[in-house]
Order: sequence, then structure tokens, then C-alpha cells
Amino acid sequence: MRFMMLMIPRGYETATPGTMPEAAAVARMMKYNQALQDAGILLSCDGLHPPSMGARVTFQGGKPRVSDGPFAEAKEVLGGYWMINVKSRAEAIEWASRCPAGDNEIIEVRQVQEMEDFPADVQEAAAGFETMQRGSAGR
Amino acid sequence: MRFMILVKANRDTEAGVMSEEKRIAEMTAYHEELAKAGALLDASGLQPSSRGARIVFSARGQRSVIDGPFAEAKELIAGYTIIEVKSRDEAIEWAKRMPNPAGDGKEGEIELRQLFELEDFEPSEAIDRLRQIEAGARPA
Repeated sequence: MRFMMLMIPRGYETATPGTMPEAAAVARMMKYNQALQDAGILLSCDGLHPPSMGARVTFQGGKPRVSDGPFAEAKEVLGGYWMINVKSRAEAIEWASRCPAGDNEIIEVRQVQEMEDFPADVQEAAAGFETMQRGSAGR
Repeated sequence: MRFMILVKANRDTEAGVMSEEKRIAEMTAYHEELAKAGALLDASGLQPSSRGARIVFSARGQRSVIDGPFAEAKELIAGYTIIEVKSRDEAIEWAKRMPNPAGDGKEGEIELRQLFELEDFEPSEAIDRLRQIEAGARPA
């Protein structure tokens, strides 16, 4: 089963554009990434630029409205994620606990929806989606 | 450049309410268009936070595990789509075209965030290793 480990760094909601992680923190995290890789459970991982470089789209009244970041009301934002494939929720939590995260960082562990989790009518409406999930941009 | 479109949670997604068939079909069509344009990298939905957990790392190096659900559905994520585009404007254009994930007549919100690329970092041994890991982790 797939789990997403969402890294929520406190304070990242107000980080200025162009904020980069420190080299020491990257090096620490690299050992952890390597352990995930060696265990054969790492599917993908990425870091996100601060929300001050992002945007939000709301859909009130059926019309998309764009607001540029930073988002004043945000109490917590995503800083990065790992997608892992493990045998149980307990194993996912065990891996998240091993992360060399810093003070006041939070990792949220969430199970990914698989097609077989859905009832038949939903699977039918989403036919072809699994192929799309693997992407087309050819990286 | 890659962007992640984060679909925000709401009361329905947190309660595990399935989207209507119409919305699922519209979302599938939207992802079909992304795929046709060669812009789609990855997309998934997340189960409600009630089935998840949080690990909080304290200043003293302790880790506490807190079981979901987590309050403030607006701060939570229900799913994501990763796209590869030429500019932030193009990413915003695609984001605007996404069907309202909450359903018609409901308040929906998505967040668009650029992903770090290895080229954004100063060259170092750690970054070289990350490059190798990414090459191995990503499906070919």
C-alpha cells in the first residue's frame, strides 16, 4: 500500500521567495532518502518552493479566481513529500519517525487511494485514470 | 519546470464521501487533456486524515505520533496532480481549468506550488547522490 509522507515545516508559510534549505539539512536528509531507497520502498520525493512563489485558485460561483502567495491565513503549508510503498500503516509511521526532521517539523502520513478502494461505478467513471497517473511528460 | 497542484480537503473528503460520478468523469477528462498535452507527471488521491497520523518532532529530539483526524480541513490535502510546464503562467492556466474539486456550487480550493529541481541547488556530493536516488526511484 502506498503512503504519502507530507513534510510540514513550521514557519515555511512566511518564507520569502527563493528560500533554500541549508546544505547541512540536505546532507542529513540524504542519508534518510538513501535508507528509504535501500529498503526498496521509495517511489518518489520532492521539495516545494515556498508558498510566496505559488498561487491558490478558488472556484466560487463556478469561476476560477487566482490569488498569488504568500497566503496570509495559512497556518501550515507543505514543504515536501515522500511517496513510499510499504506493507502497513505501522510500517509507514515507523519510517516517518526515523526521519531526521528538525524542531517543530511535522510529518503527516496519509494513505493513497488505490483504484480497487472505489466501488464499481466510480471505477468505471475513472476508467483510464491509472494509466494517466503514471504521467505522460516523459521525464 | 514542475508544479504540484494540491487539492484542498473539505468536510466531504474528510468524511470519506465519494465524489459524484459526474465530477469523477470531469476530473478524468481534465487529466486526459493534461496527458495529451504531455504535461502530466503524476496524480493521486489521499484517504481521509482519520486514517492517517502525524509525527511531531520536538526540539529535544523526541517524536510523538498523533492519530488522525486532524482539525482544520482547509489546511489538509485531499489529493495532488504534478505537471511539467514551461512557465508559472502556463501552470496557472492549467490550474484554472481544473474542475472545481469540491463539486458545483461548493467552495473549492487548490494550491499551486513549484517543485525544487536539483539545478536549484549549489552542486555538492549530497545533491549528486540525490540525483542518483531520483533516477532510481522514478519509473522510467
